[in-house]
Amino acid sequence: MKLTTGTLAFTFSLLAGGAMADSVWTGGDSLPTNPLACDATPGTVAAQPYNGGAPTNPPDRKGKKLTVVDIPKLIGIGYFNATSKGIADAAKELGNVDVKTDGPTKANIDDQITFIDNYITSGVDGILFSANDPVAIAPVLKKALSKGIDVVGYDADASPEARQWFVNQAQFNGIAKALVDNLAKEIGEDSSFAIVTSTFTTPNQARWIAEMGAYAAKCHPKLNFLETVEAQEDNVLSFNQASTLINKYGDKLKGIFGMTSVATPASAEAVTQANLCGKVAVIGLATPNAMRPYVNKGCVKSVVLWNPVDLGYAAEYVLRAVADGVLKPGATSVKAGKLGELQVINGSEILLGSPFVFDNSNIDKFDF
Amino acid sequence: MTRALLRHETIFAVILLAALALLASRSDRFFTLDNMLNQGRLMAEVGLVALPMTFVIITGGIDLSVGSTLGLVAILLGVLWHNVGLPLPLAMVLGVAAGGLAGLGNGFVITRFRVPPLIATLATLALYRGLAEGISQARSVRGYPEWFYVLGQGDAAGVPVQLWVFLAAALLAGFILTFTTFGRTTYAVGANEVAARFSGLHVDRAKLLIYTASGLVAGLAAVIFVSRVSTTRSDMGTGVELDAITAVVLGGTSIFGGRGTIVGTVLGLILIQVLKNGLALSGVKGDGTIVVIGAVLIASTLLSNLFRRDGNG
Repeated sequence: MKLTTGTLAFTFSLLAGGAMADSVWTGGDSLPTNPLACDATPGTVAAQPYNGGAPTNPPDRKGKKLTVVDIPKLIGIGYFNATSKGIADAAKELGNVDVKTDGPTKANIDDQITFIDNYITSGVDGILFSANDPVAIAPVLKKALSKGIDVVGYDADASPEARQWFVNQAQFNGIAKALVDNLAKEIGEDSSFAIVTSTFTTPNQARWIAEMGAYAAKCHPKLNFLETVEAQEDNVLSFNQASTLINKYGDKLKGIFGMTSVATPASAEAVTQANLCGKVAVIGLATPNAMRPYVNKGCVKSVVLWNPVDLGYAAEYVLRAVADGVLKPGATSVKAGKLGELQVINGSEILLGSPFVFDNSNIDKFDF
Repeated sequence: MTRALLRHETIFAVILLAALALLASRSDRFFTLDNMLNQGRLMAEVGLVALPMTFVIITGGIDLSVGSTLGLVAILLGVLWHNVGLPLPLAMVLGVAAGGLAGLGNGFVITRFRVPPLIATLATLALYRGLAEGISQARSVRGYPEWFYVLGQGDAAGVPVQLWVFLAAALLAGFILTFTTFGRTTYAVGANEVAARFSGLHVDRAKLLIYTASGLVAGLAAVIFVSRVSTTRSDMGTGVELDAITAVVLGGTSIFGGRGTIVGTVLGLILIQVLKNGLALSGVKGDGTIVVIGAVLIASTLLSNLFRRDGNG
């Protein structure tokens, strides 16, 4: 009796698993995509009404000293060290902001929620965040808003009504276009590739993959998608996953997309150690410091990113503008210190700029 | 024996009060009713898991798979409701039942095949987590109806709902452990399993029940967790087993079995939660808090050994 129930439950769960496979590229989310044109025509950005949240009865913070906490996905990796530096630089320039960076040591949403909750209780004026999960983080951010705290996101968004503004490093479809175009240029139109991402539900990675799928279907239809693997922003796991992909597909695998700043150097290392430099292309999002050895060796031809220091810098300025009442719902642009005027897109997103491609002609000029 | 036990719990209560006083003095937002109730809310899931874990550790075993069971039930809840289309209450019940089944699986392997609990639950830790990842295909399920969120985010008479659930469970667990023959059997199995078996106690049945309860309660904690964060993810509950074991051991339960109380576990839970929250409020960053909790665990075990008299207890 126990055995039959057990087998039934097991088979049932496997069937349920089968019921779920649907989308084209694994790891993308199911929000609508908006692929750019195949040539260099810039995309149009339709104006949308403001869709962010609002704090309940915030105190008047205009000109006053702000206590801000920055809670990224995790601490201890180069990318978020760079964003923290940008935030600290902006705080120093502004002069009246006291900012601290704190966060979990693993990209875990449960821990991140606990951190945010504690800081809400300790009575901060503003929260900057980069979410591990857009929906799971929403209840605690809404709680922050209900206590009158200003909430601004960067790098990875939450549900729009849970925060006031989101500083987007680059348009999702712009990043997708840069990545897919550069890979197609390196491996040819008719080749197979795989993707190493963080998790299938991390908001920014999921958006990028969905946009990449849509763009490739439109402009590079013969590119063959093999699989997406999860590596959770962990160095060792990324390396292992990339090596597994190389062993699994052998000659068929011509390119690997690294969707996190940890996955790309780890994949490059896996390719180098398998002596496949030049035969398997690695392209992805990573910091120039991490990729410099591979780019200089010729193993990796191009790295796509934006400036995370600028991203943190802009986020801090946006938070100050919100607290001062200078940036209100319905605004079309905001002044962010030395970055000048940043545009507002998609209702409550602030665009940092276009993605930047690092290759061996310019990678030595940067230090982050 | 009772005297030695009482000693540890009393010392512990004193340590807890001292910690509360110290942390309250460092931040005026710490000792407010709002904050205390909020911490109760956050503590409920680990608390629920720690209750049957007390039983498990008293019998001299351990259950490392509770975190993975939590993740698996969370995913099953989402899949049964969203993809298979069952009504949500039924999906909740089936999910918790699946948790019980997972616990039963553990108990089966441990009693029937005589695999040490550490190894058996280490294996199921990986197995259940893998099942969760496979079933979910890493898609999360969102968009639950409003009434579902009351469980994890709502209040009843001013106290968070899950805190009521935890209190009820703690009272029940405490009653079973202290006043029933099943509780006595648990202690006997932990103190000397061979003697218990030869005394005619149903050792295997007790163990089976305990591990099943562990899985069932992990399932309940999963439902509350999903309700609190309003989404399901396959990586939920990673690390919960270590938090629960820390609370149980901190509360005076011996890892070798035979000693322990629910009161101690609850005190241990409160101390850990209070430390995590109070330290964060007084400005200590995340890594500092982990160091302090580790130090407290070592200090508490040393103190407990100091005051325990060997032999006639």
